[in-house]
Amino acid sequence: MKRSKRFQILEQRDVNKDGFVKEWPEVGLIAMNSPSDPEPSIKIENGKVVELDGKKREDFDMIDLFIADYAINLDNALEVIEIDSTEIARKIVDVNIPREEIIKFTTAMTPAKMVDVVSKMNVVEMMMAVQKMRARKTPSNQCHVTNVKDNPVQIAADAAEAALRGFDEMETTVAVVRYAPFNALALLVGSQVGRSGVLTQCAVEEATELELGMRGLTCYAETVSVYGTERVFVDGDDTPWSKAFLASAYASRGLKMRFTSGTGAEVLMGNAEGKSMLYLEAKCIYITRGAGVQGLQNGSISCIGVPGSVPSGIRAVLAENLITTMLDLEVASGNDQTFSHSPMRRTARTLMQMLPGTDFIFSGYSAVPNYDNMFAGSNFDASDFDDYNIIQRDLKVDGGLQPVTEEEVVAIRNKAAKAIQAVFEGLGLPTVTDEEVEAATYANGSKDMPERNMVEDIKAAEEMMNRGITGVDVVKALYKNGFEDIAERVLNMLKQRVSGDYLHTSAILDSDYNVISAVNNCNDYMGPGTGYRMSEERWDQIKDIRNAKSPEDFE
Amino acid sequence: MAVDEKIIREIIDEVMKNLSVKDKPISKSEKTEPISLGTLNIQEIGIAKKGIRSDEVVIGVAPAFAKYQNKTIIHLPHDKVLREIIAGIEEEGLKTRIVRVNRTSDVAFIGLEAAKLSGSGIGIGIQSKGTAIIHQKDLQPLSNLELFPQAPVLTLDVYRAIGKNAAKYAKGESPNPVPTINDQMARPKYQALAALLHIKETEHVDLNGKSEELKVEF
Amino acid sequence: MNQEKMIEEVVRQVMMSMKNDSDKEIFKESENKSSGVEIDAKKDYPLATKCPELVKTPTNRKLEEITLNNVLNGDIKSTDVRISPETLELQAKVAEGVNRDAFAKNLRRASELTVISDERILEIYNALRPNRSTKQELLDIANELEEKYNATINSNFVREAAEVYEKRNMLRKD
Repeated sequence: MKRSKRFQILEQRDVNKDGFVKEWPEVGLIAMNSPSDPEPSIKIENGKVVELDGKKREDFDMIDLFIADYAINLDNALEVIEIDSTEIARKIVDVNIPREEIIKFTTAMTPAKMVDVVSKMNVVEMMMAVQKMRARKTPSNQCHVTNVKDNPVQIAADAAEAALRGFDEMETTVAVVRYAPFNALALLVGSQVGRSGVLTQCAVEEATELELGMRGLTCYAETVSVYGTERVFVDGDDTPWSKAFLASAYASRGLKMRFTSGTGAEVLMGNAEGKSMLYLEAKCIYITRGAGVQGLQNGSISCIGVPGSVPSGIRAVLAENLITTMLDLEVASGNDQTFSHSPMRRTARTLMQMLPGTDFIFSGYSAVPNYDNMFAGSNFDASDFDDYNIIQRDLKVDGGLQPVTEEEVVAIRNKAAKAIQAVFEGLGLPTVTDEEVEAATYANGSKDMPERNMVEDIKAAEEMMNRGITGVDVVKALYKNGFEDIAERVLNMLKQRVSGDYLHTSAILDSDYNVISAVNNCNDYMGPGTGYRMSEERWDQIKDIRNAKSPEDFE
Repeated sequence: MAVDEKIIREIIDEVMKNLSVKDKPISKSEKTEPISLGTLNIQEIGIAKKGIRSDEVVIGVAPAFAKYQNKTIIHLPHDKVLREIIAGIEEEGLKTRIVRVNRTSDVAFIGLEAAKLSGSGIGIGIQSKGTAIIHQKDLQPLSNLELFPQAPVLTLDVYRAIGKNAAKYAKGESPNPVPTINDQMARPKYQALAALLHIKETEHVDLNGKSEELKVEF
Repeated sequence: MNQEKMIEEVVRQVMMSMKNDSDKEIFKESENKSSGVEIDAKKDYPLATKCPELVKTPTNRKLEEITLNNVLNGDIKSTDVRISPETLELQAKVAEGVNRDAFAKNLRRASELTVISDERILEIYNALRPNRSTKQELLDIANELEEKYNATINSNFVREAAEVYEKRNMLRKD
């Protein structure tokens, strides 16, 4: 065939480098409404659920059992299942009905009913619903701070810069598992240099992650995964009972935590039982609620390539965020993984959460270049900072970030690099050289950093854990090596676990360590003039981009 | 390599066929007969036993590896992949044993099973799509010594380096980890395909199946 | 690891486990003092700023005692920077005050777990993972939770898990 020149041009577009597949319901490669998804139903006898979404109690697997016994508010369950799903969907987007009224209905629905309700909405309605249903009034943002060499000096510097740019939460992970204690330590110190009150975590294997938290090297945990089919849950090496116990273990140490799940995980792990991605994800959200966990990171997360490749997949991803808010949980709403080569698709996908605002719009904006992102790349990275700030300014939307100046970034990175140098010195860890401090101050990524002796670092990291080093030792090391202010900040972060105020739904801390959560900052959106509205000071901050010219510039 | 819709569609077609017609091994021969794959001959020779030699590394392959599938997600033939890993192990002067893990298709559990069967306590797990792990017998399943989660960036050189490092761990050394390659665009390009390949692999999981010793000849 | 280092390591670990034991005694002393306190989620939260007098560490220290000076002079140790069962009970009441009953239940399970050492918590968690334990091993843990730590909610939770794991074929096969 003679080729059309237009088609040849189109073929070269970024979007055509993405992988797309047609729906394949038999294996669960379908975003919403699989023919095998069950019809909503619930039967209760003597206070126990004996039928759930078409399945009898004797046929329940462990996931059905856990949801039936722990996750549904039975008081209103029989009433709600009878109400037409479209009518419930309309109530959810009706600005005259407050969030707390809706929560009474939604927490009494079965997973199939929940999916049926959200499937009545288009994406604009879902965004309206998220704006009203998210738990915390003030939206916020989280970032990833990692690098391909696990260089701790770079982590500290990047964390400090990210704090300055506005992130309230930070997550690191490792290229090499045994580096985890160093990454956690560098993130903790660096983040507090950037701004007091930033919460940090280190995503690693469950038991290790808990240990880092107990030691006071992290402030909260997030990578505690749950899955929507029994087989995949077991492949994930857990059960709802072990995960619920883990949740209580965190709380028993005064540590905030949330679970993680996402559409596409079950089909990616090969056992979706022919159910749609959204239905299985709904079950994960119910398990989270049943375990008594305050919140959930979802929005497909590391599986985004799967819903991203099928029709209505990105809509399903927004729907899973929405369901999380409808079950009265904190939502850290994804946007944290590369999913497209196309800048247009990337932006369209993120607007779904950025415009309505969520508890954390990204659960990992890459604060480093994507080549250093050890979550295999985020949807937005460090090179998108200005684009993001200008989108906030264009639309007058608070996406949680603000413009910064080069001078302040260089200064804060330098201080963070010196602080981690001091901590390493104080704890007897391998030396951080002045050359490394200098490089981290001006670096964009690990390509700009000198090599470290990884074998020595790994050994020292292991020894540090064996020696029983805790957050308190970090405080002392900072103080004794000239960082009294940062010592104070790290101590104040440790202190959070004594009062436990930040265990509550959607909690973040301001720079005076005041907790802002869905207990004292409840979302009261009821249409124009209500809910979160940007203050004048905040708007001034967002407006002030460095490349905007003023009339005086032309005199 | 570009993965376009056409390739994915072909795979879907292939898998669809597999759903109706039961899978046949690549050699179309019975299970006990050797399977030929390129220059590779694989024979299942009975239940895998725990090794006693401290100078061995066990490679655990996934249920469909070199049996129902024959190449990784970027089309590296399984025989070449195995040969590189073995060469890496031999460079360090150690021996290799190969087992097929049948009860799971999860790379971490495959790697751990291999490590538990290994006389040195060090095992390598590998899936048909190419994802690999170096595991140690006393670690948590989802922990690891080194994990190579992005199959699309794993080249033959990397597989050799994986074999070499596994052998070094087996000798009690602390090698520099195999340099991490990160391609942030692998997900948009390959993830749906990875899902399909993994579904194909998982169809061959036998939850009660024991691991089998493999005799491999090149 | 050379021998000297190894010995040092073992001594340190033993010392640490002894420390955990002595912590337990202190924990027991301060048990269940807060159950009578009324909490209004809207007025009393956050506790740290609205009613700091109600917050005590398991070692009976006040929030205001956790200062940089006290850390540096060794008066406040890492075992002092922990949440107490009483504080978790107060936070459970806050949760109930905003209709988060499932979350409150989690905090009450957590309240029971405060007295258990980090190490044992990790072991129990790992034992609850699929295919790790026999039914008897899980029941032994349940008894331990009940008898040694008075953790009845958790004990029943583990018993329930044992039943489910048996039914769903997730017990360890030796």
